[in-house]
This record gives sequence, C-alpha cells and structure tokens, in this order.
Amino acid sequence: MKTRRSALSTTALVAVGVLLAVWTLLPVYHMLVVSLSPSDELFAGRLWPEDPTLTAFSTVLTEGDFTVERFWLQLWNSLFVAVVSAVGVLAIATLAAFAVARLRPRWAGLLTTSALATYVIPLSFLAIPLYKAMANYNLLGSQWALILATITFGSPYALWVLSQYARASIPSELDEAATIDGAGAWRIYFQIFLPLMRPPMVVVGIYAFLLAWNEYLMAFLFLSEEDSMTLPVTLGNFLNSDQIQWNVMMATALFYALPPVLIYYAFQRNVSSGSTAGGVKN
Amino acid sequence: MAEVQYDSASRIFSGGSEVRAVDALDLRVADGEFLVLVGPSGSGKSTALRMLAGLEGCDEGRILIGGDDVTAVHPKDRDIAMVFQNYALYPHMTVGENMGFALRLRRTGKDEIQRRVADAAAMLDLTTYLDRKPKALSGGQRQRVAMGRAIVREPSVFLMDEPLSNLDAKLRVETRANIAALQRRLATTTVYVTHDQVEAMTMGDRVAVLRDGILQQCAAPRELYDRPVNSFVAGFIGSPAMNLVAATVTDGIEIAGTTLRIPASALGSVTQAGTPVLAGIRPEALRLVGDADEGIDMRVVLCEELGSDTYVIGDVGADGASHRITARVPAGVRAEPGRTLRLGLSESAAVHLFDPDTGDRLN
Repeated sequence: MKTRRSALSTTALVAVGVLLAVWTLLPVYHMLVVSLSPSDELFAGRLWPEDPTLTAFSTVLTEGDFTVERFWLQLWNSLFVAVVSAVGVLAIATLAAFAVARLRPRWAGLLTTSALATYVIPLSFLAIPLYKAMANYNLLGSQWALILATITFGSPYALWVLSQYARASIPSELDEAATIDGAGAWRIYFQIFLPLMRPPMVVVGIYAFLLAWNEYLMAFLFLSEEDSMTLPVTLGNFLNSDQIQWNVMMATALFYALPPVLIYYAFQRNVSSGSTAGGVKN
Repeated sequence: MAEVQYDSASRIFSGGSEVRAVDALDLRVADGEFLVLVGPSGSGKSTALRMLAGLEGCDEGRILIGGDDVTAVHPKDRDIAMVFQNYALYPHMTVGENMGFALRLRRTGKDEIQRRVADAAAMLDLTTYLDRKPKALSGGQRQRVAMGRAIVREPSVFLMDEPLSNLDAKLRVETRANIAALQRRLATTTVYVTHDQVEAMTMGDRVAVLRDGILQQCAAPRELYDRPVNSFVAGFIGSPAMNLVAATVTDGIEIAGTTLRIPASALGSVTQAGTPVLAGIRPEALRLVGDADEGIDMRVVLCEELGSDTYVIGDVGADGASHRITARVPAGVRAEPGRTLRLGLSESAAVHLFDPDTGDRLN
C-alpha cells in the first residue's frame, strides 16, 4: 500500500512539475520562435519558423535599427543600476540586520515590523509621490533616482530575511567571544558577521539585482533620455512605433533575460547554508 | 595572574517582575585558584560568570580583578579569556586563526602570534589541525581549540562556562582531568561554571554553591561534603544525593518510628528532645544490619548495580508518610524489589541535622 501511495504521489508531483515547466517555458519558446522568424513570417502560426534566421539578433548586437541604436549603452545602464542597487540594498540591510539581530536594541522588533509595513502600500501607488520627490531632489533623468527607489523598496524585505537568518543561524556567543577577544562592533560586523552571512547575502543580492533589473514603471517615469534609460524601457518603446518589429523586440528581450539566468547558475551553489556549521555545538 | 573579587555584586533583570539573577554576591578568588561555581539551572552561576566577563552588567556592588575595580570596564580591557559551552569558534577561520584572533586584534607581532599559537597547540595536541576549519573537527578537538584560544591570550583570569557539557561522558571525564592539570600548570586564576557537582568536586580548589542567585556556601570540596551549611547544599553535593528525612530528636534521632542512636556531641546545639529536624544521612553512611540490630526498615523499590557497589532505593515509614531513601551497599547484595532490608548507621557516619523550616544546619 505504502509504495503504491508514494508512486502515486510521485506521479502527481511530476505532473505538476511538467505543467509548471510548460507554463514557464512556453512564453520563452514563443519569444525564441518570433525572434528567429523573418519579418514577413512573424504571425505564420508555425511551431518552428520555416526559414529561421538570426537577422534579428545581429540587428540588436550591431545596433542596426533605430529602436536598438543604444542597445549596448542601455544594457550597461541596466547592469549599472542593478549592481549598484544590489550593493546598496546589501549595505543597508546587513548593517540594519546586524543592529537588529546582534546589538539587539529595544526597538529592534518595531524597526523590522515597520520596515515590512511599507509593503502595505503598492509601489504603483507611490509612483507619483516618488516622481515628485525625485523632481524636488533634481534627480529626474538620473539613474540615481531609479537606484534610490529600488534600494528603498528592496531594503525592508532584505532586512527581514537577513535578520531572521542572523538571529537563527549565528549564535550570539560568537559575538561575545569576539568582544572578549577585543573586537568592537565594526570589527565584529566585518570579520565575523559578514563572512557568516554570505548565504543569505547571495540570495538577497540576487533579489535586489532582479528587482532593479526588472523595474519598468519607475524606470519609465524617471528616465526619459535614450542614453540613460534601461532595457525594460527600451523594450516598452518598441510598442510606440507604428510598425512594431516583433522579431527585433523578442531578440532584445532574450538578451535582456540572459543575465538573470546566468546569475542564478553562477550562484546556485552559494545559496546552500552550510557556512556556520561547526562553529558551535548545538 | 590576578585575584578576583565580587563585592556585593548583583544583577537584576527587570521586565514584568524584578528578578535578582545574582543577589549581593560576595566572593573572593585567590590568585591562581581554581574556583567552581555550581548550582542548578537558574541559580545565577552563568550570570555571575558573565558579569565577571563584562558581558552582563553589574547593577549593584563591584567586581574587582587584580585589585582594580572593573565594574565599568569593557570586556576586552579586563584581561580575561572565556571558554563557552558551545565553544563559539569562528566557523570561517582555521584553528590557527581562531586561536590567534585576539592577538591579531592586539596587534601582536606575527612571529609572536605564531609562536604562542604553536605552543598552545602543542600543549593541547592540536598541532596537526591548525589549518583545519572547526567543522572538520570532532567535539573533543573543538573543545580543545576553545581552550587553546583562551590559553594563547595568556590572560590573568580564565572564565569557563560549562565547557564540558557538550562532550560525551567518557571524554568528559578525560577532559576534566586535563583541564584541571593544565590549570595547575599555568597557575592562572580560573572561574569555572558547571551544573555537575561531580565536576565541581573533582576540579575545584574551592566550590561555590549558588541557589536563586544567592551564594549558599563556598568551601573546599571536602568541607562542602562533610559540613554542608544547609539542606540545599547537603542535597546538591554528593552522588547519589544525601537522604533528607523528617526526624525528631530523642536520645538519638527518631525516623519513621525508629530511633537511631548517635553520640550526644553529634547533636550539636539541638538539645531539646522532641525537636523536629531534617536529618541528612548520606547513602554511604547506611549499612545493612541484621534483624536483631538497631535500624530502620526499608521496603526495596529499586536496586541499581554499579559493579563496584550497589545503590538500593526504597521507602521507610508507614504508607502515606513514607520517605524515599537511597543506601549504598557492597556489590553483590541481593535486594529484590518488595523485600525489606534493615539499615543501620555505619560506625563513623555523620548525621547532619537541619532546621526543617529554614534548612540551616543545626549540629
């Protein structure tokens, strides 16, 4: 009975897995098909183009169309915004998590809760106030506006994840041992806390990177210059022309989708949480 | 090397109701002495140690190390080293880096650090493990690294917070002896916290027994065993625990209707016949006697064979008013549950008398 039941549940799991994979991959497949199709065959409705061509990809890479004439610069803009946002979120969230979880002030609980409470208001509600704020700071058109907005929205979640991990996985005795060894708070932060926080920092870093990488609304509002805009805005602008070049757009979208995939694969291993094993006996 | 002194030191935790985790502790640890703080959970022994380390504040009174008032001094400036129960090794550093961390923070020269780490490693049999990370070590090795980290500091006081409680029983006994020997060799003042009274008795020059934050007695192990100042210390020190039974003073002491004669001098200040007392008799002070001899009858409940001797556990007195007591008898004595044994006092046996209300020693 037991084996039959487990075989049944395995089958069910596999079925759900396959369904999810199809659900996820179908749009990607569609992107690929469109990007490989010649301009006159875009909506032929075939599962695979009769005469696949890489023209759209080379158009993107050589900036051979007015829609992608700043492709490399805008790719760089996206990377810059995402990396700086991730670094910013990590800097703020690790310091805050260190304060909340290690120094343990009385208001720690209040801080984490109120930080999370900011998520009660959806980002799109705040678009206009933020636009006004950035205008006041004279940051409209600057990528720093986007970076600051991303850091603002990424940090509370990052703080929550990091402080949970810090509380649960790094024993307070390590701080005490370091204190007796002669380390001050900053040294404990840099030499004990940060090295041990690597696994959640990778997770949070990727989260913040993707948050910035995927951001469209704020980027669209803050960045109007061709030279400063990020790829999502570029992709959105494809739809503004009368003759939408779907194949070029899809090729750009595929390039745009590549960095997150690469990052996931690169850091897959770091997301394991074995780094504090052995320091203390549980 | 330094003398340590708690001068009416208190630690008060507020939050809801006020709790005095350590209450007006007066204790002096001589230079080079090995003092053990012992007590059940919640007795304040760890808090007392952490106050000395500076990890816990001192709300009243003072703490002195080497004659200097360190009450308000930062932990790193107290010249102490601490060994934690869970070792608190830095997981991302090698054994060598763990041991040298404090010296590096003190900007000690590289050669000097290397020499001192190597010396400590040799002393603790860790030389071959210096490049390993803690997670690649066994529990005993980790414990030794924690010791090594304290030793390389060459501090004036060692603080140890239950450093053996995570080791298995056999290793614990072995490490116990090693730590005691090491401390004698280094002659560094040591304050050692444990809840294990056997550890306390075997390791300490003196043992301080704490209960509810209050120091009960601080004395050499022998004295603690022979003359506990109250029924709490009497019951806490010694294994198996001392039998504490309600009794009445007669021409001896009467327990469960039977009088055990003891010398009048042993009654101390209790001269009034009929005074109710709490009589303390150690399991090894009881012996089996014949049916014709003076003794109290015990209905055997359980018999624990240890090989070297046997613990017989049973009830004395009438049903409903009986006391559970333990007797330590020679190996090979047959005592099946349900059988009745007659127990008398062995010749040199001491009977401890305590006030039934306050628990204070009367004789």
